[in-house]
Amino acid sequence: MLTSDNTSRRVMALYMGTGLALTALMMFAGLMLRASQAGWMPMSPGQFYAVLTLHGAVVIVALMLCGMGGLWFLMRRQTSLSAATTLITYACIAAGAVAVIAATLFGGFAGLYTFLAPLPFHGSWPYWSTGAFLVGMTLITIGWMAWCMQMLGAVLRAYGGALGALAWDFVWHRKAFDASGKPLPPPEAFPALMAGFDGMLAGMSAMLLGVALVVRWLDARVLINPLWAKNLTYFFAHTYANLIIYMLAALIYVGLPYATGRKYHTSTALVVGWWCSMLLTLTNYFHHLYMDFVQPGPFQYLGELSSYLSAVPVTVVTIFSALMLVWRSGMKWTLGAIFMYTGLIGWVVGGIGAEIDATVPFNVHLHNTLWVPAHFHTYLVGGCVLFAVGWVFLCLESRSMRRTGALLRWLIGLLTFGGMAVFLMGFYCAGAYGVPRRYAIEPPPGPELAKIASIGATVMIIGFALAFAEGVRLRFGYPDQEGDMRIEQGG
Amino acid sequence: MSVAVKLLVMFLVFASAAIAIFLAVAYSTHLPVSEQHDVQQHGYAIRGRWFLALVLFLIASFAASIPFYPYMSATAALAPARKVPVIAEQYAFIMPSRLPVDKPIIFEVTSRDVNHDFGIYNPQGHLIAQVQAMPDYTNYLRVIFHAPGQYTARCLEYCGVGHAIMAKTFTVGGK
Ligand code: HEM
Ligand SMILES: [Cu+2]
Repeated sequence: MLTSDNTSRRVMALYMGTGLALTALMMFAGLMLRASQAGWMPMSPGQFYAVLTLHGAVVIVALMLCGMGGLWFLMRRQTSLSAATTLITYACIAAGAVAVIAATLFGGFAGLYTFLAPLPFHGSWPYWSTGAFLVGMTLITIGWMAWCMQMLGAVLRAYGGALGALAWDFVWHRKAFDASGKPLPPPEAFPALMAGFDGMLAGMSAMLLGVALVVRWLDARVLINPLWAKNLTYFFAHTYANLIIYMLAALIYVGLPYATGRKYHTSTALVVGWWCSMLLTLTNYFHHLYMDFVQPGPFQYLGELSSYLSAVPVTVVTIFSALMLVWRSGMKWTLGAIFMYTGLIGWVVGGIGAEIDATVPFNVHLHNTLWVPAHFHTYLVGGCVLFAVGWVFLCLESRSMRRTGALLRWLIGLLTFGGMAVFLMGFYCAGAYGVPRRYAIEPPPGPELAKIASIGATVMIIGFALAFAEGVRLRFGYPDQEGDMRIEQGG
Repeated sequence: MSVAVKLLVMFLVFASAAIAIFLAVAYSTHLPVSEQHDVQQHGYAIRGRWFLALVLFLIASFAASIPFYPYMSATAALAPARKVPVIAEQYAFIMPSRLPVDKPIIFEVTSRDVNHDFGIYNPQGHLIAQVQAMPDYTNYLRVIFHAPGQYTARCLEYCGVGHAIMAKTFTVGGK
């Protein structure tokens, strides 16, 4: 069963190639930021915050592109998805990214990607750059929502409407469902459904806020309630960031069975787990407003409880199943397998950092300290990036029928993960000691830790660069075997 | 142990436990291969227990954390306390430079322009309390300073290019 056609492959290559290239560039931008905090790279605060805005906004879009391309490829194997639509989506997002890059690099816009109204209008940057940034983010959101609609439509059509896509009867009326012969959505259809549905809601709130901000940009007399704006900002920013992980996790559902030669099927636990994730992701964002004492009280409790509970479906279903797939499977540790598996570790460890921060009494000490970038770099760099890179390697390995030698694998692993651990611990330690995030110049012990972290980040980048070179060798070093990829479900 | 060390230790303990499990599972790929069916039979039993343990642990942690929430109860709000207005603006805090030791203080925190955050660092440099400073709203933060000395308020919500220099030192006690 060959499971990919050339179009899907090219669409995936376009999305993932762009996404990973932007991510790589932004790693250098990140290194500049950290080195500047270490005092090694002189930057004015204006430059620092413009680069920070660029780094944050672009990596989120970059990883989103990776997730969109990967999931599109997986779902195209079983649903009808139009390549033309997805190219328009891509063009929209690319145009938005260009506007964001122009606004930050040339306009010096430094309101950050989680811009909290009314900050974009009280900055020291030119007025046009605020407009360019807002228009850019709006374009990105339009592209994103178009993708969500396409994905949602395809999933609903393929599995018989909302109840079918949710596998409702499979859970509640198993006998009738089995007798009906209706198609059961495969595991990766649930992240697709979640991204489509939650993504639409997040996109809608981003558009609502975006329109309000654009109106305010045009007419300075317009008033925006800052608490309302903050809720909307975090609702969409938090949901986007979460969806990135869940979308890329879909690659595990196909990649690990391939690597282990085992099967992974939709089960009741999986379905119920995804229902929970779909709901909890929408109420988690309240944990960003713990230190807003004017936020209605019940939301604070809901925020902590739902943040805690969102660990349940992830660890009980996806992570646990992944461990069961690998357990005594005799899996070969190719680079693809190493990256994917390590990505699971980054996801869990970042989640632990997140749960600690999501505890209100601890949040008092950690809110807006470097603990926040600590945990999300753990699951973005140590999770999402590794899922995407691991997936690319699985594809390259399956296509070239080659594996990387042991020495090079050890070298890449040690440099990448060792450097990453040092880089991340720099953030965690600084956060625990109360060093604020988003400080161009940090109070002690920030600068000392930034030095150690910059060295770690450099080592990590060298590891990724080696992996990149090895990827190029796998891609171009061997003749195309059958002109197709052999990533299949069930190995 | 300072709060910072406690938080780090807690994180490292949980993270090491998780990493140890992953390493053990990774190592198992060198053991003789098992049928997936057999793995699942054992695995599902462990999974059920893990599910129960995790849910109980999370709900217990949630319940245990509630008494330590920083939000002011209605009784605390009515109890006698010194009210101290704090106005944040790009890039300064307008507030008194001297405050009493061992007396309940309620900071009435607001902002004149954009979102800021009023974070209080004790003389050892530890972040001991914070609340957002939001335009159009007033947040009430109740604090009792038990130790005299030089404290620093720092802005903990990004508010523009001067964010990192937005700080105000104040003295607790003395005179
Ligand atoms: C070598 C790699 C990287 C380094 C050295 C790095 C460094 C940094 C630094 C120093 C900050 C600012 C922290 C602060 O003071 O608040 C930051 C923020 C951020 N980074 Fe990275 N980063 C790297 C890679 C990445 C990657 C791959 C991602 C995403 C996939 C990412 C996502 C973010 C985000 C979302 C922010 C927040 C921006 C904001 O606060 O508005 N970073 N990074
Ligand atoms: Cu500030």
